[in-house]
Amino acid sequence: MELLLQTLLNGMLSAGVYALVASGLALAVGVVGIVNFAHGEFLMIGAFISYLLFASRGIDPLVSLGVAAVAVFLIGAITYYGLIRPVLSAPELNQMLLTFGLSVLLQNLALLLFGADTRVVSPPYQGSTLSLGGLSFGGVPLAAFVLSVLILLGLYWFLGRTRLGLAVRAVAQNRLAPGLLGIETQRVYLLAFGLSAALAGVAGVMLSVMLYASPTVGFAFTLKAFAIVVMAGLGNLRGVLWAALILALAEALVSTYVPGGGGWVEAVFFLVIFGTLTWRSWRRA
Amino acid sequence: MRLVLVILGLVLIFPALPLGRWQAFTLDTAQFAFIATALALSWDLLARTGQLSLAQGAFFGLGAYAAGLSAGVLGTIPALLVGAGVAAASSLLLGAATLRLQGIYFAIATLAFSEVVRTLVLKAGFTGGATGLPVAPAFGGGWALGGYYLAAAVLILSVLTSLWVGHSRLSYAQAATRQGEATARVLGVPVVRVKLVSFLLSSALAGLAGGVYAMKALFLSPYDAFGLGRAVEALVIPIFGGLYTTLGPLLGGLLLVALETWLRLEIQDGYLVIYGLILILAILFMPRGLVGLFRPRAKPAQEEPRA
Amino acid sequence: MKRVLVGCLALLGLALAQTTVRVGVLLPLSGVSSVSGKAALNGIQLAADQVNAGGKVKLELITADDGTDPAKAVPALTKLMTVDKVDIVIGGLASGVTFALSGPVKQYKPLFLCIGAASSVVEGAFSDYPLFFHYHPWDYNNVTAAMDFFKYLYTQDARKIAILYEDGPFGSAGIKTYQEQLQKVGYTVQAEPFKTGSGNFTAILTRFKAYKPDILYWIGYDVDALPIATQVRQVALAPKLIYGAPPSWPVGFEKNPLSNDIVGMSAWLPSVSNPESRKFTSAYQKKYGELTEEYMAPMGYTIVMSLAKAIEAAGSADKDKIAEALAGVKMDTPFGPLAFKPSETGKTKYQGFGASIWFQFQYLEGTRRPVFPPSVATRPLRYPGRY
Repeated sequence: MELLLQTLLNGMLSAGVYALVASGLALAVGVVGIVNFAHGEFLMIGAFISYLLFASRGIDPLVSLGVAAVAVFLIGAITYYGLIRPVLSAPELNQMLLTFGLSVLLQNLALLLFGADTRVVSPPYQGSTLSLGGLSFGGVPLAAFVLSVLILLGLYWFLGRTRLGLAVRAVAQNRLAPGLLGIETQRVYLLAFGLSAALAGVAGVMLSVMLYASPTVGFAFTLKAFAIVVMAGLGNLRGVLWAALILALAEALVSTYVPGGGGWVEAVFFLVIFGTLTWRSWRRA
Repeated sequence: MRLVLVILGLVLIFPALPLGRWQAFTLDTAQFAFIATALALSWDLLARTGQLSLAQGAFFGLGAYAAGLSAGVLGTIPALLVGAGVAAASSLLLGAATLRLQGIYFAIATLAFSEVVRTLVLKAGFTGGATGLPVAPAFGGGWALGGYYLAAAVLILSVLTSLWVGHSRLSYAQAATRQGEATARVLGVPVVRVKLVSFLLSSALAGLAGGVYAMKALFLSPYDAFGLGRAVEALVIPIFGGLYTTLGPLLGGLLLVALETWLRLEIQDGYLVIYGLILILAILFMPRGLVGLFRPRAKPAQEEPRA
Repeated sequence: MKRVLVGCLALLGLALAQTTVRVGVLLPLSGVSSVSGKAALNGIQLAADQVNAGGKVKLELITADDGTDPAKAVPALTKLMTVDKVDIVIGGLASGVTFALSGPVKQYKPLFLCIGAASSVVEGAFSDYPLFFHYHPWDYNNVTAAMDFFKYLYTQDARKIAILYEDGPFGSAGIKTYQEQLQKVGYTVQAEPFKTGSGNFTAILTRFKAYKPDILYWIGYDVDALPIATQVRQVALAPKLIYGAPPSWPVGFEKNPLSNDIVGMSAWLPSVSNPESRKFTSAYQKKYGELTEEYMAPMGYTIVMSLAKAIEAAGSADKDKIAEALAGVKMDTPFGPLAFKPSETGKTKYQGFGASIWFQFQYLEGTRRPVFPPSVATRPLRYPGRY
């Protein structure tokens, strides 16, 4: 019983960061309509901001969270202006190749600047451990989970309760009508894409503390984030949280209860996705 | 069309060209370029129905492993056919399950399929698992140009299939399916069959390319053979060259691989930065790919290049 | 006028005495193994500079990137052999790539100085190739070296080992052998695979908790080092020793307090204090302005130094004569003495280093210190460690 509770807790805690990365991607895919292969590179930039600030100035990653959010938002906004806007009406495949090119460019730029080495930050609380009853878990994963949930709640509030947020949702639902109603579609896109990048940047800072910073840190998470977004359904932001939770729990259960399960985690993750997608498509018909 | 034939002619007489000391290197590079291009052409075959597949790497890997495992017993050519057959058979399963998925949903489902297949190959004992699988060279290594002509044959076969499909009635059904499945169905297009046949052709060619790759690389590991990088390359090339055409992926594949090789030789450190930049610029300045440069703005219905 | 003539004659004499050799260097400068590949290249270039400054042998390096990818490595080797016309190739760092190179190597027949490729599958592939010189120990040598340490730990009352291994070729290749060998020593062993870079160990570690291992032994990559160190604490696994076996460790990991007491195996550290190692580190520092922790750097350095010695002894640029001379080379290196012998399995004839170059180090007070075997230890092993 204790093992089960511990497993569920482990799964839940890792769902937070998944949801954060995936929500950012969901904004880009759902609102702007861009399948952004470079999302993981925004995350990587966040991780490196955290590393560089820590290594050069000893700045705590908690501070870097804010720095990375602003910096990566700006990078996202510049990307939108320079690269995404010109291809908004181009075929989906062209947009994908563009973001793929950007991903290759950014990743290899990081390789050129920092090398392929894995880098770590070491804030004092990194190894902190909490225990509750018989359960034990890390302070950082818990904080990351809480922070992710807070950020996502803030995002939902923004989208559901503010004028600008409603405009974002309106654009997500219909590309033409909001323009007719006087909503500046371009500004909304810019905001959504910048936010999308900022969420990845924040997640990157968290991962720099929990895992590492390296030019390829974003890749594994982007792949999973894509899967989560698709499982939730395009444009369904709230669904992202649920999809992330289900998948993270499936991962935790498999690696705890199946012998040798650690090697099957990825396969189970993608099997769940595959099953959900195909089952949904057949049920709908 | 004429340009396609010129390129194929060049492919055939390439080993006889007086390239001097660069000959062996260009022949080696060309083989890998042919394989990548054939894979890209095979991806494009399915893309013509509007289905964006990320499973091309999985079919490539299945073909590679099946050919690699059976080459010792069956000999080169039959083993390659087995590879193509295994890939095609698995595509029927995948195709039937994902028939109703479209756009990004289809893409992610095929991605999930590749990841699952890769794990299965990694965990299975008879595939050599994580340690990898040594493969014998084509024709027992007895014929120096054997590998080259195998790669060339796969390329030519892919080009011919692509041309044939492009000129057959299937191409109209594919275009109709791509532009709107519901409408196509109303118009009497057998959408299910069109999709499955395209999937079958596409995966068989991918499996064939994989087999030839195995006999050239001599060593397979699940991370290499089923790499996502290969699936992505298979879609980058047609977009760069020009979608839904034969000339596009053909030209795009040969040029991109040549470009990458040249950049690696010339720049070494960080050559991929330039590569990424070129992809971005290509999209911004030639939205219809390379073939877009060759012809004036085509009418929407026109699928084949006149170049 | 006379002086100029004498000068010219002297130069001519020097040129005649000097043997010039073109050497192809084929390393992973991009892709998964690029950290090791770049370190190796630095070491190779450093040694080539020193050799060329010595004046007796002139080495011309032609570098190529194998991309840690067979599809790039095979044409790259072909180019070195046919376009650049080299007779000697230094390369073969990653096992998979090296295996793929076995075909073209046998076709073009260079003197192949292999820097890495520990997998015994590679040994099989080159067993019938006469010009194959393998410097790095084979995987079974690595097992031997690790086992000596685990035998010692057994005398310290360690009985249960939990193994975490990544499910790629690096982690899975030797896992069966390791398990059997450990059981032979008397340990009970539980092994679990994981996916490298996923950073998700809590679930598996939680499962290990019921097993209460004395030693947590992980085989993975640098990206897994920190997540394992933190998550072991988070699930309160409390093993007596964490033993890691990645090809390289994260940059600056020693500065992270969580690395304290973690043990690992290496063939070389900058703090290794034999004269050759000190010579290497000071020269490296001078040329590159920083130190390296990667043992592939002195490995590359060692290969070039031994090659130069062989060329000098052969007095010729002929690859067969050089190979013959190299087979007889005996020299001191940053790793200790180097001399070529047949490998333990007898499959290949020229094996440079064996199990003896490995030693165990422990992260202690912000740096890595050799702790085992006693002959190289600068500090006693802290066991049990605190995690």
